[in-house]
Amino acid sequence: MHIGRRALNCAMAAMVVAMLAVTGCTSSSSGQKTANGAVIVNFWQQKFEDYQQAWFKQHVDKFNSSQKKVHINYLVVPADTWAQKLKAAQAAGKQPDVATTNYGAIPAGVKNGQFAALDGLLPAAALADIKDNVKGFVHVNGKHFAYPMLVEPSTVLYIRKDLATAAGLDPNTPPKTWAELVTWATKLTKGKVKGMTMASVAPDLGWSSWGLQYNACGHLPVSPDWSKPAATDSCYEKVVGLYRSLYQNSLMPRQPKVGYADATPYGQGEVAMMADGSWAVGQLKQTWPSLVAKTVVAPFPSVDGDPTKPTATLGGWTLTVDAKSKQKQGAASFINYLLAGDPKIMADFFQLTGFSKFTVRESVDQALAANKAATSDPFMKVIADKVVPYGKAEPAYPFDISLAMGKAIESAMKGQSSPGAALKTADTQIGRVIKQQNLAGTGPGK
Amino acid sequence: MSVMNPTQELVPPLAAGAATPRSRRADTRAPKHLRSNLTGYLMIAPMVILLSIFVIGPLGYAFYLSGFQINFYQAPKFVGLQFYRFVLTDDDFWSSLAVGLKFALMVVPTALVLSLLLASFIKTLTKRASGTLKTIVYVPAVVSPVVASVIFLFIYQDEGFANWFVGLFGSGPVAWLNSPVSALPAIAVPGVWLAFGVSTLILLAGLLDIPDSYYESAELDGANFLQKLWYITIPLLKNVLLYLLVTGFTLAIQEYQLPLIMTQGGPVQATTTPSLYIFKNFRDQTPFSTSFSLTAALLLFVVLGAVSILIFRLVSSDKAIDA
Repeated sequence: MHIGRRALNCAMAAMVVAMLAVTGCTSSSSGQKTANGAVIVNFWQQKFEDYQQAWFKQHVDKFNSSQKKVHINYLVVPADTWAQKLKAAQAAGKQPDVATTNYGAIPAGVKNGQFAALDGLLPAAALADIKDNVKGFVHVNGKHFAYPMLVEPSTVLYIRKDLATAAGLDPNTPPKTWAELVTWATKLTKGKVKGMTMASVAPDLGWSSWGLQYNACGHLPVSPDWSKPAATDSCYEKVVGLYRSLYQNSLMPRQPKVGYADATPYGQGEVAMMADGSWAVGQLKQTWPSLVAKTVVAPFPSVDGDPTKPTATLGGWTLTVDAKSKQKQGAASFINYLLAGDPKIMADFFQLTGFSKFTVRESVDQALAANKAATSDPFMKVIADKVVPYGKAEPAYPFDISLAMGKAIESAMKGQSSPGAALKTADTQIGRVIKQQNLAGTGPGK
Repeated sequence: MSVMNPTQELVPPLAAGAATPRSRRADTRAPKHLRSNLTGYLMIAPMVILLSIFVIGPLGYAFYLSGFQINFYQAPKFVGLQFYRFVLTDDDFWSSLAVGLKFALMVVPTALVLSLLLASFIKTLTKRASGTLKTIVYVPAVVSPVVASVIFLFIYQDEGFANWFVGLFGSGPVAWLNSPVSALPAIAVPGVWLAFGVSTLILLAGLLDIPDSYYESAELDGANFLQKLWYITIPLLKNVLLYLLVTGFTLAIQEYQLPLIMTQGGPVQATTTPSLYIFKNFRDQTPFSTSFSLTAALLLFVVLGAVSILIFRLVSSDKAIDA
């Protein structure tokens, strides 16, 4: 069979066209404009509680209709797909202009050149309005690289009053030490109801145990300048021992259906006590309002009963502007409207959360001062007075270090190794992370 | 000296430079063996081009990139083979390979044995009954692994079917998915369930290709079921089994959806397969993790190639005797 040159050329041309169609030669939307001439700013929000998405959507719409210069394209991304979606977008140069970022990711992101400094993009008054104890979370090398939205402690103890009373315990005098907590959990475990629930898988244990690591040891398992691992300090065996006692004695669900952050087991009556972040207050108020009256909120017990030792880290969310964004000013104008502008907007947000999160701006505190619901909320008062003052900032080191500790706790909990052996493995892994990622000397301490 | 023409006539050799019109025309065209192959080359050209663009090119580029610490915001830093050393000295990488191999060893042989038994049974049925059974058997193959994971998550709950069943014998409840001992076998069960539909149909097709006369002769010689299976069925299904072994092992080692949804790789890394290990590293937001996961993926590619070669060596492929 003979194929002519013309036929061959036609076939090649068709193939090239087909390949172009398959590869989808599109360009990034960054720098595009709407038909009305407004610049498009892409905003990605990690999915939180349902009411938060409604609140964001409402304010994105308000912002878009309030002016004609900037149009926000709002996208909600599920938490379990966030990391890979963002990374894939960064690789393709299609990352969002504005994104939700947690405090712990800011120092590393700044080091990588990921975030634009907001000084100069936001009014100086907006930056000055940030509370002093939060400024350090978003302030790196003398500049602000994120605008904070809220603060929430990672660990608070929730107790079912009715179940505690039925078990002969006084819910108004909650457990003060870890030993007492185990005793309470033992007494409250009856039939299918477990006494307690807290994290039991390595990724959750990695971050939710930060507060307890501080509590037992006064530091995290790495030297302050991040040059050496410190996971073999004997105090960490107490942290591991607490989780191990609760798990191996079946005082907590051995096969949890949801992660640490989700209050569902408590809401559905499967457990009598729960360690969870302050955000669980919002989930209880929204989803199981009848449980609110039956719940006591208390600081998580301390290793030795000292209530002034930290039991929680203060995490939370911010909005950041991407360093490669072509619409930095437009992105900043949206942040200024939503988080840094009229204090009523954020005051309404905190009301919506059921005061399960904490403000980061002086002006929002003032706006809430006249709000009786805010000042009289019993949960907020306990958390604000007894948990937040002793809370620590989230560590800024790579999550690999936290994960090594999470793996150690899980391994000892589930009987794969002794606490000592598990912590030794964690120490080796942390040393490896320090060496491979050149962390020595890059920590905040000396 | 002479040359043979197509009609086998002897003709005298042509003098140098004395080309005939026919031979001049032939000189302007490509040699005949190339002309006859041109169609073939053109037929495979689209696939070769597409493979070059979407597989070979990216693979080569990935090997090139693995020499750098990639940063999407700063210039990449050349680090040579550093990340290969990091991956190869990471205990979790080797642990994930062991988990992948264990998972494959649980799923592939089990699925093959079940499929062979089922295919043998279907072969004995009437056309209508076999048609119905084939449809039923194939159903898991069209179920998404995500859906299967969710179904089996419910089955393994404290109050789920699995614990109800072991409860009949006075045992349990068992934390199927939260015990390092039982988690991997627990996710291998849906793995078998998803795999055996396709392998049953492929094996059935292979069984139907074996002439009945072989079995009739064996029966006349007094062969029992096992002897017929060992001396006729398995040797004649060798190529089919080889195909199923190679594809089954490479797919099973790469499995990540089941452990991702059912256990997130836990407890204590017990279900972290190589692909899930790579995926979890990729999710980390540091530039280190990007290069690390890329290098681990390339090494997994090498491992899978080695496993495939090993299987080919162990089960050498033969041309069918009578198919």
